[in-house]
Amino acid sequence: MLPQGFKARSSLSIAISVWRALLLREALTRVSGGRAPWVWLLLEPVVHMALFVTLLTVINHKVVGGIDAAVWVMSGMLAFFMFRRCAQQGVDAIGANLALYTYRQVRPVDTILVRAILEGVLMLLVSTILFLGGLLLGLPALPDDPLQVILAVFGLWLFGIGFGLVLSVPKELIPEFSHVYGFIMMPLYFISGVVFPISNVPLPYRDWLMLNPIVHGLEATRQGFSVYYHAVPELDLSYLFGCSVFLIFFGLVLQLRFAQRMIAK
Amino acid sequence: MIVVDNLHKRYLTDHGPGKWVLRGVNFTIPKNTSVGLVGRNGAGKSTLLRLIGGIDYPEKGSVKRYCRVSWPMGLIGGLQGSLSGRQNAKFVCRIHGHEADIEEKIAFIQDFAEIGEAFDDPVKTYSSGMQSRLKFGISLAFDFDVYISDEVTSAGDAAFSKKAAAAFRRLADHAGLIMVSHSDGTLRQFCQAGIWLHEGKAHWFDDIEDALKNYKESIKA
Repeated sequence: MLPQGFKARSSLSIAISVWRALLLREALTRVSGGRAPWVWLLLEPVVHMALFVTLLTVINHKVVGGIDAAVWVMSGMLAFFMFRRCAQQGVDAIGANLALYTYRQVRPVDTILVRAILEGVLMLLVSTILFLGGLLLGLPALPDDPLQVILAVFGLWLFGIGFGLVLSVPKELIPEFSHVYGFIMMPLYFISGVVFPISNVPLPYRDWLMLNPIVHGLEATRQGFSVYYHAVPELDLSYLFGCSVFLIFFGLVLQLRFAQRMIAK
Repeated sequence: MIVVDNLHKRYLTDHGPGKWVLRGVNFTIPKNTSVGLVGRNGAGKSTLLRLIGGIDYPEKGSVKRYCRVSWPMGLIGGLQGSLSGRQNAKFVCRIHGHEADIEEKIAFIQDFAEIGEAFDDPVKTYSSGMQSRLKFGISLAFDFDVYISDEVTSAGDAAFSKKAAAAFRRLADHAGLIMVSHSDGTLRQFCQAGIWLHEGKAHWFDDIEDALKNYKESIKA
């Protein structure tokens, strides 16, 4: 019964053209939407970093864990932002693109993945600019082990994708979830060791904090910046990667299971 | 050709599954046939269009599309408010795999929509008529075998209605049309066959007049 000459596009070629279109669309709104979007991209981490560098130096900590306090704050903060921005963009992706699901080629999971890629690239640019700025100010901001920094940040990026894939589902399906999301994100900032060194926490409490995969990513990043850094002894990057892979797979399963319900509203 | 087989659809409400909107809908739309969909408000017309367009999924049954089917052109959705008309048009070209001839498509859309310099303004500043013009232009830029229209032509002014009508007539030579409209005139003008949706079932009529007659009688009673 199939009419002659009718040939559907393959799923892969549809997915690739959708990702390409979404990437261009998202990039356009991210770097040209509103007033001076570039300023805001840079300003958020800068303000956080300036605040905590000032706090640390005022209470006379020039050195944290054996490395320069400013570099300690910068590396931890930017690594954490790599996670948090990807997660945040992913969680918000579905709601922000509702108008586009009119086209059956576009699935919710596409928008999350594309946003994570874009956010990762933007954070790399932002971090590079800020570290170059740090170098100009005379900070020891060149990593001793660039490969470890790349690996750790890559792990945090993956974790952010997994986080976004998983939490975007309850965000769309349970209206009250946005409150709970606030409860999760706010303490994460503090228990991930962005603003105080986890290695100062005594056992057994430190073991509990080390269950949080983000800590491993942050500490590994700092260790990559300076071989003299006293990282947490329990540091294990493979734990971060294991958790990320698990979250990504779990998230993809959720996306597959609930895709229809998230669009049909 | 589109084959709709035993379609069941209900929506999830805050209190569990709602009542069945479609309960076993069957029909086959032959090639190059224009079909008008009639039924009272809430009969499931838009739901059926969404299912045929592939952006919603049935609880049971299936829709088989043996041809290129457009997205459901409707009054809402399909355009991103913060982007300009041109950017929206480019996005739709890209997801349909028209990266190579994108300039040509954009030129066509801009020409058809006739919204002047507003083509480069954000879509959220458009009136509903301007949005209709843009959406209609975008959908005509692609070679679909079947176009799905959910009252998209009803928002424009007289000049646009005329243009849309002419475009639909040209389409009728090589493509099919599935449309929902509350105006009998529009349906008579474009559709040969009709589907009357009533109490979750679909009734097929080879002549749109019969579909309209049955629909009118059902709301009189």
